[in-house]
Amino acid sequence: MNKVDTTPPVQAASSRTRSYAYFGLMVALLLSAWGIMFYKLYVLDYPLAGLIPSVSYRVDLNIDTTGHGDDIKVSTYLPKTDHRQFIFSEENSSGNFNFAINNDTLNRQAIWTADNVQGRQSIRYSYSVESKHVQYSIPDDMPIPKVYSDELVPYLLAEEGIQVDDSLIAQTLAQLFPDTTPTVLEAVTTIHRHLQDNFENRNFSGFTDALTTLKLGEASCNGKSRLFIALARKLNLPARLVGGLILKQGSKRTSHQWVEVYIAGHWVPFDTINDHFADIPSNYLTLYYGDLVLFKHTTNVNFNYSFTMVKRLVPKREALELLDHSSLNVFNLYTIFEQVGISQNLLKIILMIPLGALVVVIFRNVIGMETFGTFLPALIAAAARETGLIWGLIGFVLIILISALVRKMLDWLHLLHSPKMAIMLSTVVIVMMTMTVLGVQFQLFELAHVTLFPIAILAITAERFAIIETEQGTLKAFRITFTTLIVIAACYAVMDSLFLQSMILAFPELLLVVIALNLWLGKWIGMRLSEFIRFRKLIFAKEAQA
Amino acid sequence: MKRLLKRLREIRNNTRRMLTMNQRNLHYIYPYNHRRYFPIADNKLLTKEVLQDAAVAVPDTLLTYDAFYALRTLEEELCAYSDFVIKPARGSGGGGIVVITRKTGDTWYSAGGTAYNVDKIKRHITDIIFGVYSFGLSDVAIIEQRIDQHPFMCELSPLGLADVRLIVHKHEPVLCMCRIPTQASDGKANLHQGALGIGIDIDSGLTSHAIFKDKQVTHHPDTGIELIGNTIPYWDQVIAMSRAAAEHVPLKYLGIDIAIGTETPLLLEINVRPGLQIQNANQIGMRPGLEALRYQTGQTNSQANSWKPDHEA
Repeated sequence: MNKVDTTPPVQAASSRTRSYAYFGLMVALLLSAWGIMFYKLYVLDYPLAGLIPSVSYRVDLNIDTTGHGDDIKVSTYLPKTDHRQFIFSEENSSGNFNFAINNDTLNRQAIWTADNVQGRQSIRYSYSVESKHVQYSIPDDMPIPKVYSDELVPYLLAEEGIQVDDSLIAQTLAQLFPDTTPTVLEAVTTIHRHLQDNFENRNFSGFTDALTTLKLGEASCNGKSRLFIALARKLNLPARLVGGLILKQGSKRTSHQWVEVYIAGHWVPFDTINDHFADIPSNYLTLYYGDLVLFKHTTNVNFNYSFTMVKRLVPKREALELLDHSSLNVFNLYTIFEQVGISQNLLKIILMIPLGALVVVIFRNVIGMETFGTFLPALIAAAARETGLIWGLIGFVLIILISALVRKMLDWLHLLHSPKMAIMLSTVVIVMMTMTVLGVQFQLFELAHVTLFPIAILAITAERFAIIETEQGTLKAFRITFTTLIVIAACYAVMDSLFLQSMILAFPELLLVVIALNLWLGKWIGMRLSEFIRFRKLIFAKEAQA
Repeated sequence: MKRLLKRLREIRNNTRRMLTMNQRNLHYIYPYNHRRYFPIADNKLLTKEVLQDAAVAVPDTLLTYDAFYALRTLEEELCAYSDFVIKPARGSGGGGIVVITRKTGDTWYSAGGTAYNVDKIKRHITDIIFGVYSFGLSDVAIIEQRIDQHPFMCELSPLGLADVRLIVHKHEPVLCMCRIPTQASDGKANLHQGALGIGIDIDSGLTSHAIFKDKQVTHHPDTGIELIGNTIPYWDQVIAMSRAAAEHVPLKYLGIDIAIGTETPLLLEINVRPGLQIQNANQIGMRPGLEALRYQTGQTNSQANSWKPDHEA
C-alpha cells in the first residue's frame, strides 16, 4: 500500500492555500519566539545562568497547647533575613493568642500570650526561606589576636555550660597544642578535627555542657558545640552558639546547634556533628544566636510542637532583580504585572496553564485518554500547587463524588438545567468550605487550600460525571475519573517543573512555541496509543485483512 | 530478523488500513460535514422532514410535544394508540426512549413490562421537553409509530429493536454492521453500552463477524442464536435507502441507522460523528474503502454550501 493521501482532489486548490497559511503561521510563531529570545539574550544581556532556579523551603511551625483556665505564654525564635538567608511570606495564625515580636540586635523572638485558656489551642507560624551555601577560607598565617573590641568581649567569657575557665579545658588545649601558640587556622582546624573525629555523635536532645562532653567523649550537637566554644574562647577566639534547623522535606521536631567563631571580621561557622568546617550548607536555617532555649512556655500546658517543611523551587532573586533593572522593560512582564498588584507567583501560574493544556492535549489526542473537560486537569494541577499533588487529587475526587451524589438526588427531583447547575455550584462551594474547616481542625493544612480550586469547572465536572454515570455506567465514570487523575498528575509534574517555570517567566514568548506545537498537534493524524489497543486484533492480525 | 521485518511491515500496513479518531475528524468529518448542517442529523424531526422528499421510509410521527401546555390534550390524543415509541428529538445514545407495546384499560405497558398511566407518560414527556435527555437543551418529544420488526430480525434480536448501521461516504456505503441489543446493553443498540456488533458484507448482506464487549463471538450471549452467515432481509433495499438518504442531505460522511420492518426497511436516524467500532465488528479497516472513493465527485463543504434547509431562517 502506498503512502496514503486522503486529501480529496476536488479540494486541492483551497487546501493548498490553507496549508500555506498553516505552515506560514507556524514558521512565523517559531521565528518570533526565537527572535525575541535571541534579542533578550544577546542584546539585552539577560543573565541565563541566573534563571536556573534555587531551592526554597516553606516552613510551618505548629504549636499545640492545652489550657486549664490559666494564662498561657509561649515564645520561640524566628529566623532573620541576613547575608545568607532570606525570609519572606511570613504568616501568623494563632487564634486566641496575642502575637508580638521582640527584636533585639541578634535575635527575633515571637511571643504568643492568651488569658484564661480553656482546652486545646493551636499556633501556626509559617515562613519561606531561601538560603545559600557559604564557605569561608581562613588565611593560614593569621595569628590569634590579643585584643578585641568591647562588643566581642562577651564572646570570650565563661557561661553556664560553657566552662571556659575550668582546668580541664586548659589541659585539653595543652594536649592539643603542646608546643607553641597556634595560628587561627591551626586552632580551629585542630579543635574541629578533635571534636569531629574523637567524639562520638549522640542523638540525644537534652542539655549537655562543655565539661560533660569532654568527660564522656561523646555528645549531641549542643554538647559538642559548647565544648568547641569553651576551647575556642580559652584560646582568645570569640565564639558563639547558633541554633537553627536543618531544612529537609518532611516534618520534624529536632533543632540543631552549631558554632560560629569570629575570624577577621566574620563569624565563621563550624559544625562538628556533620563535619562542616568554615562552611555552612544551604539547608541550614539560623534561628537564634547565643546559648538559648528555642521554646519557652508556661508549664503544664501539654506543650507540643513540630516543624513541617516543604521544598519548593523558585527563580533566583538576584536574577529577578537583575531583570527588573534591565533596560527596555517592555519585555519584562513581572514589573508590569506587579504594578497592577498581580504577584509573580500568580503570573507564573497563569503562564504555566497553557503548558498544562498542552499536556492535556497530548494525553487526549496522542495517547487517547479520556478526561473530564478539555482543560480541567491543567486547572486542577495549577490549583494543586497550594495543596500539594496528593491532597489536591484527594480533594478533587471528594468534591466530584459528593457533588455528583447531590446531582443524582437533584435528578430525582426533576429540576430545570440552569437552577440545577446553580445548586451544583453551591454544593461545590459548601463541600470546599467543609473540607477547609475540617482540614484546619485535623491539622491537614494542605487540604485546607482546596478553596483555591476552580469552582465553576468542578460543578460542570460533577455534572458530567453524573451524566456519564447514568448513560455509560458507574465503571466508565470511575475509569474517566481515574484517567483524569493521571492527567492531572502529569500536568502537575510539568507545571511544577522549576526549569519550565523559570523559562516561561523569563521568556513568556515561549507561549508562541506552545501555540505552534498545538497547531502541529491539530493536524496530527497518527494513531492514538489507545487505538492500538482498541484495534489490536486488526493491527496485529497475522494474515492480511481481506 | 527478516521475519521480524516482514512482521513489522505487516503491522504497519494493517495500521494504515485503520481509520483512527484523529483521521476521522480531520479528513472526513471536518471537510465533509459542515457544522451548519449538523442539526439535520442531530434533530430527528428535522431528519424526517428532510428525507420526506427522498422517498425514504421513516417511522410515522404520530404526535409531537414541544411545550408544557400542549400536554393538556395528551390524554385524548394518545388514548387511540396502544403501541408507540416516545423519543426525545435530540437525544443521544438511546437515552429517553420508551417503547410502549400494548394497552390494557387505561394503562400502557412498555416493552420491558413497566406500567405507564397517563401521568407517568406526561412526566416522561415533561422530562424530554425540559432537556433531561439532550444535554440541558429544551427539546421536543416525538411520539412515533412502533416498528414491527421483521420476523427474522426478531429471532436474531429478541431483546429489542436491532438496526443496521452503515457508514456512507460520498453517497456510497463503505462499511456496515448490524447492532443487536443484549441484556448487558439494557435493550439499547449501542456498542459501547454492550450491544452486539455484527459485521455485514455490503454486497451480499451476509453477516461475517460478531463482537460483544470487544470480544469476538459467534452466538448471541443471551439467546445462543448463531449470528454468523445470516442474510439480512431486504438487503438491496437497505443499501438503496442509505444511498437515497445520503444523496438528500448535504453531509458526506455519515452513519445511517436503518431498522428492518416487516414490509420495508425504515430509516431511524443519521449520525454525523459515527463511531469507529464498526471496523472491529467487520474485522477490517475502513480506510481502503474510503480512499477508493477519493476520485468520486462527492461534494465537499465549499460546494455544498449552496444547499440550504428550509428551516434555516
